[in-house]
Amino acid sequence: MTLEMLIGASVFAATLRLAAPIALAALGGVTTERSGVTNIALEGSMLVGCFFGVVAADRAHNVWIGLAIAILAGVLLAGLHAYAAIALRADQIVSGMALNILALGLTTYLDYQMYGTTGTPADLPVLPDVQLGFLKGVPYVGDAIGSQNLMVWTMGVLVVLLQLSLFRTVAGLRLRAVGEHPRAAETVGIDVRRIRYAAVLASGALAALGGAYLSLGVAHSFTDGMTGGRGFIGLAAMIFGRWTPVGALAASLIFGYGNALSTSLQGASIGDVKVPVQLLGTLPYILTILAVAGFVGRSRPPAADGLPYETEGHA
Amino acid sequence: MTQQQQPATTGPGTTIPAPSVRQLTFQWAGGPAIPVLSVVIALLLGAVFVLLSGNDPVAAYAALVQGAFGTPYDLTETLVAAIPLVLTGLAVAIAFRTGLFNIGAQGQLLVGALAAGWAGAQFASWPGIVLMPTVIVFGVAGGAFYGGIVGFLKAVRGVNEVITTIMLNYTIVFVMHWLLQAGPMSAPNALGTPASTPIGAGARLPVIIPNELVLFSRLHAGIILAALAVVVFWFVLWRTPLGYRLRAVGLGAHAAAQAGIDPARHMVLVMAIAGGFAGLGGMIEVSGIFGRVYDGFSSSYGFDAIAVALLGKNSPLGIVFAALLFGAFVHGGAYMQSHAGISSNLVAIIQAFVLFVIAAEALVRSLTRRRGARKPVEAIA
Repeated sequence: MTLEMLIGASVFAATLRLAAPIALAALGGVTTERSGVTNIALEGSMLVGCFFGVVAADRAHNVWIGLAIAILAGVLLAGLHAYAAIALRADQIVSGMALNILALGLTTYLDYQMYGTTGTPADLPVLPDVQLGFLKGVPYVGDAIGSQNLMVWTMGVLVVLLQLSLFRTVAGLRLRAVGEHPRAAETVGIDVRRIRYAAVLASGALAALGGAYLSLGVAHSFTDGMTGGRGFIGLAAMIFGRWTPVGALAASLIFGYGNALSTSLQGASIGDVKVPVQLLGTLPYILTILAVAGFVGRSRPPAADGLPYETEGHA
Repeated sequence: MTQQQQPATTGPGTTIPAPSVRQLTFQWAGGPAIPVLSVVIALLLGAVFVLLSGNDPVAAYAALVQGAFGTPYDLTETLVAAIPLVLTGLAVAIAFRTGLFNIGAQGQLLVGALAAGWAGAQFASWPGIVLMPTVIVFGVAGGAFYGGIVGFLKAVRGVNEVITTIMLNYTIVFVMHWLLQAGPMSAPNALGTPASTPIGAGARLPVIIPNELVLFSRLHAGIILAALAVVVFWFVLWRTPLGYRLRAVGLGAHAAAQAGIDPARHMVLVMAIAGGFAGLGGMIEVSGIFGRVYDGFSSSYGFDAIAVALLGKNSPLGIVFAALLFGAFVHGGAYMQSHAGISSNLVAIIQAFVLFVIAAEALVRSLTRRRGARKPVEAIA
C-alpha cells in the first residue's frame, strides 16, 4: 500500500466523480424532506433520469435534449409520488418503494424492448468534461480538478445555491417552516401543498440530474439498474449531513472517498493482510446508522418529515 | 416512549371478545375486496402499458399464466418461487402488526442464508438429523440478530426503523461480497460467481415430489417449513399473550404502555422474530435450492415481501395468496419473455402498480364508493 493509493490526485479526482451523483440525490433529499415529504423514490427518479436521458440523447443526437428529458422523467416520477403523498395522503414509504420498483421495471423493460441484448449505441452524445487548461501542469490540482465533468461543477454550484436559498431567502424559510410545522406555516398564509409539490418535483429533478450524469457523463451507456442504490446513499448522505446542502456534500465526499479507495486499494495489502476493499462499501451505511443513533453527532429530521398534512377544515 | 408500570388487572385476551373463525382465518380488514381490486387495477395498467409499448397484452398475460401454471412442473416451480416470499412476507407483516415498517427483510434473509450456509459447510459431516436443525437454528438466529439490531436501535436510541433497515440491507450486500470473494467463507469454484463451500448432504432439504410424479421438480421440503411458519405467525399473534401485546403496541404504543406493556421491549422482540422469519427464508433458499451461498443470489425477495405483506393485509392466509400470486409472476414472467418476447420486467411493473394502488388506498376506496367506511390504515402508520 502506498500513500498515492490513499491521497493521490487520481483518488481525489475519483472521489469528486463518485461523490457527484450521490450529492445530487442528497440535494434532492434535502429539498423534499425539508418540506416534510419523505421521498425514497429518489433512487427511481435517478434511474429514469439515466435511461430516458440516454434514449433522448440517442434519438435527438443531442446531449442537452437528453439532459432535459432526463430531468423531465425524474420530475414525472416524483410527481406521482407528490400526488400520492400530498393529495392522497398515501404512506410515503410504500409509495416511494412502489415507484422505485416501477422505475426499475420500466427502464429494464424498455431497455429490453428498445435495445435488446445489444446495449445502447456506442455513438451516444455525452456530457462534456470541463478542461481547465490553465491548471495543466499545476501539480496535484491539475490532475484532481483540471478535467472534471460539467455535472461535477454543476453539482458544486447547486450546493451553494441551495444552501443560500434554503437559509437566506424567504422561499427557503417558508420551505423549512412547512417541514417543521405545517399548521403554523399555513396559519401565516403559506400554501403548504404548493410548497410541498414544488419541493418534491425539485427533488426528482435533482436526482435525475445525478442519474443523467451517471449514464451520459460517466458510463456513456445505460445498463439495467445502473444506479445501484446511489439514490439511497444520497438519502444517507442527506441524513449524515444533517439535512443541509453543505453537510450533504461533505457526507457525499466522505462516501465518494470510501468508494474511490475501494478501487485504488484493490489488491493492496498491509503487511501480509489483503485490504478487505469490499468492506469499504459498508462505510456510508454504517456511518449513517451511527449518526442517526447519535453516536456520531446527532442527526435530527425536520419535525413534520413524512407526515401527511390535512388542510384545516378538510377533516 | 414513557413507561408506566401499572398492574395488569385483566389478563391478555379477556378484555376482547373472541374473534370469529372468519376473522382468524383472514384478519383481512374489510375482506379481500381491496387487495383483489388492487391487483385487477394493476393488471389493467400493465395491459395498457404493454399496449403502449406496441405489444399484445392478451398474448402477454396468456403466456404469463401458461408459464406459471401450464404444466405440473411449472406449478411446482411457482410454489418454489413463492416459498421465500411467504417467509419474507411474514417478516414484514409481523413488524407491521407491531407498528414497525420492516424494509429490511432482504438483509435479514441474506444474513440467515449466510449463517445457515456457514453452519451447513462447517458441520457438513454431521448426520442430517442433527445438522438440519442446526442449520435451521443458524438461519433463524442470523436473521433474528440482524432484525434485532433494528429493534434495539429503535427502542434505545429512537432511530427510525426505515432508515436502519435500508442501511443494513446495503451493508450486508458488501459484507457478503467480502465474505464470499475474499473473506473466510470464500471457496474456490468454477462457477464464475463467488460462492461459499457447499453445505453437507444432511443440510439439504429433500425434494418432496418424486420424479414419477413431476420430472426434475425442485419443490423441496422448505414448503413444509414455510407452512409451519405461517401457522406459527398466526398462533403467536392471535393465540399467545406475547402476540396480544405485540398487536397492542401496533395499535397504539402509548395505550399499550398505559396497560403495562413495554413498547420498547416488544419492538426489539418483534424485529428479532421478523428477522427470524426472513432468516429462515434465506436458510430455505440455501438448503432447498442452491446448496451453497452465492454472492448476490437474492436481489429482490425482500422488496417483493413488502408488496406481499401489504397485499395480504398482514394476515396469514392473505400472505400465502399474495406470495403465490407473486411467485406465479416470477416464474411465469420468465416464460413470457422467452415465448411471447415480452420482457419479464413487465412483472415488476405490475408489482409496482399493485403497491402504488395499495399505497393510494384512498383512491381505491373512492372507486369502490365506500367513503363512509374509511378506516385508518392501521398497519402502516
